[in-house]
Amino acid sequence: MRSHSSNLCKNHLRPILTCRDVKKVFHTNNKNVFTALSGINLSVVDGDFITILGRSGGGKSTLLKLLGGITPPSSGEVLFHGVPLQGITPKIGMVFQENTLYPWLTVEQNISFGFKVRGKRKCSSNPQVQEVIKQVGLSQSRELYPHQLSGGMKQRVSIARSLAVQPDVLLLDEPFSALDVQLRRRLQKFLLNIWQGTGSTMVLVTHDVEEAILLGQKLIVIGGQPGGIIERLNISDSAFKDRYNKKFLDLQQHLERIVGEEYEIAKESCGIAYMSV
Amino acid sequence: MSNDNSGWYNPISRSLLPLVCGLVSIALFIGVWEGIGANPENPIVQVLPPPSKFLPVLLESNFRIGLGSQSATIYESVFITLFRVILGMTIAFLGSVTFGLLISLSQWSELFILPILGLVAPIAPIAWIPLALVIFGVSNLTAIFIVFMGVFFTLTIATVAEIKKIPLNFLITAENLGADNFARWRFVIIPAVLPGVFTLLRLNFIAAWMAVLAAEMTGLRDGLGTVVMTGRNLFNSNLILLGISIIGITGFAVDRLLLLIQKKFFWWKV
Repeated sequence: MRSHSSNLCKNHLRPILTCRDVKKVFHTNNKNVFTALSGINLSVVDGDFITILGRSGGGKSTLLKLLGGITPPSSGEVLFHGVPLQGITPKIGMVFQENTLYPWLTVEQNISFGFKVRGKRKCSSNPQVQEVIKQVGLSQSRELYPHQLSGGMKQRVSIARSLAVQPDVLLLDEPFSALDVQLRRRLQKFLLNIWQGTGSTMVLVTHDVEEAILLGQKLIVIGGQPGGIIERLNISDSAFKDRYNKKFLDLQQHLERIVGEEYEIAKESCGIAYMSV
Repeated sequence: MSNDNSGWYNPISRSLLPLVCGLVSIALFIGVWEGIGANPENPIVQVLPPPSKFLPVLLESNFRIGLGSQSATIYESVFITLFRVILGMTIAFLGSVTFGLLISLSQWSELFILPILGLVAPIAPIAWIPLALVIFGVSNLTAIFIVFMGVFFTLTIATVAEIKKIPLNFLITAENLGADNFARWRFVIIPAVLPGVFTLLRLNFIAAWMAVLAAEMTGLRDGLGTVVMTGRNLFNSNLILLGISIIGITGFAVDRLLLLIQKKFFWWKV
């Protein structure tokens, strides 16, 4: 795996992903047009950990889909290493909320899936796969099938599978929101360890304020109707990584208020704002 | 897959209880039958001879059914019927998965081909017998064709439906991990649809089984169906009941075999 520091030196200022005045419009079935996002400008630099916070249905998942190439922007552009993004690519890894592990494959086979589909033989002995398995602490469970795993383990395997193909950036869409609080905290630590240990670049979407502060180096709040970036914060200071620190608590309160107000606004405007796309 | 709910149940008694009860119940059933059949005066014995009357012929080494060159041992009859059903079902399974995948390649082919399949699928397999006899004559091809027609259309529709049911994230993830179109078909779509389609194959086995037996009773000159019909033509109740029992036992065995294949090879749920 790449080391964190050398990465920072290599590509210090060249962004991996850039959004330039991105707008996303959906055509709903009753001929209405729903603008999910508008005027999004954003760049993801190598080594970043960006958390995107917003209420449910506020457009943050749509933003992640745009960044991942799942859906194209209606106007503006999404650039990947300076070139317009042409759809889904292994260079931009994605992890979703619901597990997407293949139930007919073992943990190890799931993690080496990226090598198998590209016709690389002997994928199980691939050193990259073995290293990732060790890194995420799954050596004991490599022969198990997904239905034999707990929810937290499944998410760990999903993350490991995406990391194994060494993407330039990893996008995570509410990866822990289906888990209980204790497990979520453990996996948050796990994710931070991975980020620090591998020097990967991550973008994580969440509606959980605490998670957004604890994990991110930069925090973006999506809000308004249509959705836009209403706040950008640099939270790399270690004071924000301590749940009992005053700075952390103040920021938490501030963000909870913003997100709460967002829900109120959504309730007052037409019901369509709740439509999650 | 192995059963991993360890805990309160005693797995041995849990798996043995149904088996023991089943054996006791079958033994009682045969016992009552034998009891009634023990009295030769009873007119029922003429039509429903008990197993002790019709089963011993299986032990006779030169027991053959039929006339002259067409005569066959009961084992040959079982084999020929099984051969027809299994070959027909295998071809139908492979064919319908392939055809279903091809149809779902394009929305247009789905829109145009599925209605035809929906129209043809409800035709009872037995209804194909006369046509098959006209086309293929009295041959194995006739039987295999009937089994195929009885299973193929339903399974093709099922394959298309199963493909639609695949979670979108499975496909996005595959692409995200570097799978091209072909790799996505091979490593995601096919494994995702196989268990569902195989379940339906197993449920359709009874239809295929009936169709072959009916064909053997009406047009073909060998197989288990022919054994029963020969018994009828000779007014030989022993032969009729022998045929019926073997049809029952063989059908049961194949159903268990299919269940075993499913548990061993297609156990996952998508």
